[in-house]
Amino acid sequence: MRVIKHYRVHLGTFAWILHRLSGLGLIFYLLLHIWVIGHLAGGKESFNSIMEAFNNPLFKFLEIGLIGVIFYHLFNGIRLTIMDMGWLVEKQKPLFVIFVIVWLISWFAVSGVMYMRFFGSAAG
Amino acid sequence: MKKLTFKINRYNPDDERRGHFMQEYEVEVPSGHTVLDCLNDIKWNQDGTLTFRRSCRSGICGSCAMTVNGVNMLACETQALALGTDTITVEPLRGCEVLKDLVVSLEPLVNGLYAVKPYLIADAPPPTDQERFQSVEERDKLDGLYECILCGACTSSCPSFWADKEYIGPHGLLKAYRFIADSRDTGEQEHMEALDDKHGLWRCHSIFNCVEACPKDLNPTRAIVELKKKLVKGKVG
Repeated sequence: MRVIKHYRVHLGTFAWILHRLSGLGLIFYLLLHIWVIGHLAGGKESFNSIMEAFNNPLFKFLEIGLIGVIFYHLFNGIRLTIMDMGWLVEKQKPLFVIFVIVWLISWFAVSGVMYMRFFGSAAG
Repeated sequence: MKKLTFKINRYNPDDERRGHFMQEYEVEVPSGHTVLDCLNDIKWNQDGTLTFRRSCRSGICGSCAMTVNGVNMLACETQALALGTDTITVEPLRGCEVLKDLVVSLEPLVNGLYAVKPYLIADAPPPTDQERFQSVEERDKLDGLYECILCGACTSSCPSFWADKEYIGPHGLLKAYRFIADSRDTGEQEHMEALDDKHGLWRCHSIFNCVEACPKDLNPTRAIVELKKKLVKGKVG
């Protein structure tokens, strides 16, 4: 017995898969975040040492990526909410394209600011 | 006239050892022939063991829904040459248990449909002995809902259905809304009963595969959204 489980991917599927993946990413980040904050219970020394471990360029870039993931989940969530309110259901594809543009613009803007914060002072 | 290659999913439950495999057939296709005409050509002239469902050959019965070149469609409404490929891949509907070749078990779809009581529920007898009246405006509300022929193309394309065989499915939810939106129907509660459930409305994740798949160009997601609104409003007051 075989059951086929795939279908031609279109924008709606694409939006959904990305939404799921970004959601999983955010859960992972949240657990990591709680684990890091948990070090506060161990006192100043313990917290400072864990923060020191994250203080390198790799994690800075990951943080910029995290903003992208958050923004995607946020904006596609708004798109889904708009459609669940009964608006623009027939226009889901243009709506997705608009939200992808908004997502990318805001991500680039914020990551520019973050990049300057992280690396600007070090260069100067 | 053009020679096309049909790659068709074959499966014989009496030959489990061989399992599923794709078999190729060459068909001379005259202009205007549908995929169903080509399948008939193969069955009648090349290989009588090829099994598929068909009945009306005019897009009304919904028997011949299948996956052609990776997309769900009615074989009888799709012209083979219009697909634009020299090789046409024909597979059974997604997410359903294959019984033989292109025939799938539609049991989960039928169960989903029955769950919403897909018939007119009225608490009073018709005002005359002939019909229940409906204004033109009230009738207009059923456009885009009543055309569904229950072919199963939408539900079998739905990832939520692949994950949950008890999901009512876009076809059932569209049918539920077709009766809830009907001015003659008074059984809204009865249609809605099965919807507020983990196998009901909330399984829909707005993926829109059903809209892509529907051979009648209907929009089940629109119906699902209207039902969600109705349910939430009923709860919030």
